[in-house]
Amino acid sequence: MGRKGAQSSFVASVTALRTVVSCLTDMDIREPDIRSCGDNMVNVFDTDEEHFAVSSSSAADTAFDGVIGCIEDIIMEDDFQQLQQIFMEKHYREFDDSDENKLSYTPIFNEYIDLLEKYLEQQLMERIPGFNMDTFKELLMQHKEEVSGDIFDMLLTFTDFMAFKEMFLQYRAEKEGQCPDLSQGLVVTSLNLGGSKHADFNESQ
Amino acid sequence: MGLLTILKKMKQKEREMRLLMLGLDNAGKTTILKKFNGEDVSTISPTLGFNIKTLEHKGFKLNIWDVGGQKSLRSYWRNYFESTDGLVWVVDSADRLRLEDCRQELSALLLEERLAGATLLVFANKQDLPGALSKEAIREALALDNIKSHHWCIIGCSAVTGENLLAGVDWLLDDIAARIFTAD
Repeated sequence: MGRKGAQSSFVASVTALRTVVSCLTDMDIREPDIRSCGDNMVNVFDTDEEHFAVSSSSAADTAFDGVIGCIEDIIMEDDFQQLQQIFMEKHYREFDDSDENKLSYTPIFNEYIDLLEKYLEQQLMERIPGFNMDTFKELLMQHKEEVSGDIFDMLLTFTDFMAFKEMFLQYRAEKEGQCPDLSQGLVVTSLNLGGSKHADFNESQ
Repeated sequence: MGLLTILKKMKQKEREMRLLMLGLDNAGKTTILKKFNGEDVSTISPTLGFNIKTLEHKGFKLNIWDVGGQKSLRSYWRNYFESTDGLVWVVDSADRLRLEDCRQELSALLLEERLAGATLLVFANKQDLPGALSKEAIREALALDNIKSHHWCIIGCSAVTGENLLAGVDWLLDDIAARIFTAD
């Protein structure tokens, strides 16, 4: 009886211990779990399980890479491009193809950067639980040397005034039909209408 | 500071500088910019907005911003102060009547916090005109010797002939480079 009791209490404590361990493990794995944000993100955090004893600084590195991957996803998505489109639609009439820039371009440019920054932050907060922009900016400064590649080049073009102006001029040119576009192709096919179809329509009346 | 702004500051190329060119209207800012860029300067009309030229000089990438100088436009200058490494103040050396106006505008700029770290180059322009004051006279009229807050230099030049434009920009680059890039 005494022995059985000891055994059961041993089992109980092992179970309790297991629960504690699994809780701990769960916590460690769950904390950086950002599965909602693309494949690269999942891969990044899956490796955490294998290197359970890695230092916290490299966990931060992994989290950093995860955020970068997430930014990459965000700016590649249609929603992001739509955001830019809506903005261009609102302001393109202000832009002229002359060498001199209007003073009015500058507040529009600032508004554009602000819009993109706010959108990025809002999207990151939605996708990464507990995401904090200020913490991320600090990480960014610490990773100064490694910050390179297409994604950063792309982010940087958002802050380039001349690229911004060029984007608007191109949008305006397309809008005003200075560039060949698909709608001209559609006009050509409309020749069919003048022939038999039109006659058929008259006959059926 | 926003994410993109931080990125821009971080990734700013080591050998890249932003120069802001200001001065009263008709001082010759746009002519200097175009002459320096090798463009035709025979037909230049008053700037109502701003011009930007990016050019390579002595291994540096220079982003030069030239903003219109008419009185009604001067309140917009502030929108272009950010991240300025060098301020180029252009003076029409033949415009004696407006030298006091010129001095006041410059001294107001030098109080601007966002220009606090900028090197100042004063171009005493239009030295090719017969009535032009010497650079020493301009130096006195603008009270440049009272400036303690900024590195500064005055150079007599002519935007039309191109005389001394290079000398001025070279001095500016050397000063900025010594200040910024050796500090790291």
